[in-house]
Amino acid sequence: MSRRHELRTLLRGAVRPPDNDSAFLLDVHRRAVPQDRMARYDDAYSVDLVIVGAGAGGGTLAQRLARRGWKVAVLESGPFWDPDEDWVSDEAGSHRLYWTDERITGGSDPVELGKNNSGHGVGGSMVHYAGYCPRFHPSDFEVRSRDGVGEDWPIRYWDLKPHYERLELELPVSGDHWPWGDPHRYPHTPHPIAGGADGARGGAKKLGIEMRVGPVGITNGAFGNRPHCIYRGFCLQGCKVNAKASPLVTHIPDAIEHGAEIRPHCMVTEVVVDDSSGRVTGVRYIHNGAERFQRADAVAVAGYSIETPRLFLNSTSRRFPHGLANNNDQVGRCVMVQGAPQVAGRFPDEMRMYKAPPPEICSEQFYETDERRGFARGFSIQTVGPLPIEHAQHVLGHGHWGAALREYMRDYNHWYTLGILSELLPLPENRVTVAHGVSDQNGIPVARMDYSQCENDRKNIAYGKQTLHDIFQAAGAQDVLVTDRYAHLVGGCRMGSDPERSVVDSDHRAWEVPNLFIADGSVMPTQGSANPALTIMALAARLAERLALKHAGESSVQRRHLPRGRSRPALTGADAG
Amino acid sequence: MPARDFRAAEHLPNLRPDRQPASPEELPRQRNGVTPQMHGRYPDYNVLDEAEHWDEATRRLVFERVENTPPIRFFTDTEARTLGIFCDLVMAQDREPKVAVLNMVDAKLFDGQLDGFRYADMPDDRETWRRLAVGLDAAARQHGAGDFASAPTEVQMRVVDALAKGELRGEVWDQMPPAKTWKVVSRAILSAFYSHPWAWNEIGFGGPAYPRGYARLGVGQRESWEGAAAFERDAAKDTEQRGVQGT
Repeated sequence: MSRRHELRTLLRGAVRPPDNDSAFLLDVHRRAVPQDRMARYDDAYSVDLVIVGAGAGGGTLAQRLARRGWKVAVLESGPFWDPDEDWVSDEAGSHRLYWTDERITGGSDPVELGKNNSGHGVGGSMVHYAGYCPRFHPSDFEVRSRDGVGEDWPIRYWDLKPHYERLELELPVSGDHWPWGDPHRYPHTPHPIAGGADGARGGAKKLGIEMRVGPVGITNGAFGNRPHCIYRGFCLQGCKVNAKASPLVTHIPDAIEHGAEIRPHCMVTEVVVDDSSGRVTGVRYIHNGAERFQRADAVAVAGYSIETPRLFLNSTSRRFPHGLANNNDQVGRCVMVQGAPQVAGRFPDEMRMYKAPPPEICSEQFYETDERRGFARGFSIQTVGPLPIEHAQHVLGHGHWGAALREYMRDYNHWYTLGILSELLPLPENRVTVAHGVSDQNGIPVARMDYSQCENDRKNIAYGKQTLHDIFQAAGAQDVLVTDRYAHLVGGCRMGSDPERSVVDSDHRAWEVPNLFIADGSVMPTQGSANPALTIMALAARLAERLALKHAGESSVQRRHLPRGRSRPALTGADAG
Repeated sequence: MPARDFRAAEHLPNLRPDRQPASPEELPRQRNGVTPQMHGRYPDYNVLDEAEHWDEATRRLVFERVENTPPIRFFTDTEARTLGIFCDLVMAQDREPKVAVLNMVDAKLFDGQLDGFRYADMPDDRETWRRLAVGLDAAARQHGAGDFASAPTEVQMRVVDALAKGELRGEVWDQMPPAKTWKVVSRAILSAFYSHPWAWNEIGFGGPAYPRGYARLGVGQRESWEGAAAFERDAAKDTEQRGVQGT
């Protein structure tokens, strides 16, 4: 073993991110983000950049650019959460974390929205994601060339790799050394796993399937002023501990420290374009029932795969009668979800799957195309750990109700659950449009999402379900229950190298508007079978780098540039930095 | 035949010839706290005993749920009668104590607290529930009953089963797909029932665990305060509570 390797192993969990102090800016005794020193920009003042949405994309972009001296205002439709007061250890009581305004879901395989995949408030849907933070594989960026399906990205894995590495240190991500895709290690050691995950891993091993611990964005041990995980199992209800990573704790505090304003309860209703110049001038938004207008030199929309297309389609003007940047009819197209059926297995011993974070172990052994399986691309396998309401829906999804449902639920503590994430392909007819005649409380037309699977999708999901079934059989399960569902959202405003087939270029810039950018998961041309959060953050971090380069070249504008090179990594310590 | 042991899985419907469970009356009665109908698989475990270890925001929410059953404000009396029976059948609540599922659903609809999506071929969730009441009556009439509420239990069960399988046809159901109706209404019913601490007692769920957390994660491990499953009935307490003397 080389000395370098030894040193890296020794330092696992002890290296502090070089250019993000968020974990150290949080309060030791309260979970809420300190806001007393936050900048407040006037509506009439033209900020360098206004960002719409404070989630994975918007939060990361704000932090990166604020660090570089940009004046950034982030307009978020939901609240600025105080985890102590606003969040509860309760499934039904977590309704406020989701986007619950009306949306229409159609197509032959309609997708459940709301709680399943849509966030609201500072931190976005990462507030209620499970915590899995896998990277995409290098193959994900060239599936058209390799496998003849989907679409190639205009960037490559290697463009994102440095951002993945930096973000894994910032969240931080803990897990085993990772053998799949581009093999890599994680900055924090893997978490302990619960009995059920251990059993499932044993079952998988008998079939020659390897499962590894992580990768999860949950601190293993204290990290700055973020305490260690207490394994209470309510990751999907918002982490009251501040152990699980979301932009609320990983990027927003540092963004505020460097002069960004996070403005909650601001629903942006229109990106305003100047018809003569063709540039955007700011955003119209509603705050406390009053309409306001924030001026900005540039606008980055980070509202995710449904609200971003909806905002574009609702922003019509003389120049863009069919919606902003939509003269090629690409906005809203190729929106994607992952097939995410779950299989629960019953064991003689008690598993009590409500303990420990739902994300524990995972396998990417089936991620790449294997022609013998009879379909292109693949899926990953993960643990899910549903709480009672979620598990009851699983039992009912299998077809049991009444006395049979109650009997299965009394047996809850003997069950353990695995899920797959199937890579479903981008299809142009799967798209977000504006619902005719249905408006929200502000009178703005709501979004409609149509979704239908193709033959490859169905084969992929069926194969994955069978694999989970086999794992549980090998692990000695006495009974299994299967239910179908979807997870995650990406695409809808994809990046590309051809304006006829995409909405933004490789720098996230709208083809049709020079100072309009998209900084969320909607730019993804394909989705792999990885949870999207880390990749959305990595894309936003790369975008920030591209914008800063561009900006530095504009000599006519005076900017406050912080003289900040890459400082040497420092060790984490007791001081709050 | 009742199951002999919870290590074996023979009590589970999938593994029984008729795919229906044994009567829960074979289980012990709940001895500590309340479960719906007092079925006691964890008879000495009451999650509310742990409330002093919960954070304040969670404690407030959970106790509000237990102590203040909301009145029916959204549904009419007729709708409430039909839908109350329907909810009880879906959750197999055949006697007191019952979780007031319909009241909890009613409160959600009255407050306009919706789930953030609506199927393109379905009405608003509020309208779905109202039409469900009409549709259940229509389906019961196809079996010769006057309406759903006055139909014999076997007829009511057949109607619910047909709804769950997406097989209802005719008035209402030709305009509102029964399979999606079932998805919408069952989501609300399960969310109400399994959010109630009485249901947590029944299934042995640890409940809120912040700021205490869990330390014992392994197979078969319990925290000292988590409930143990009991297979045997307590000869004295169980018979007394069921009004049976001297068995």
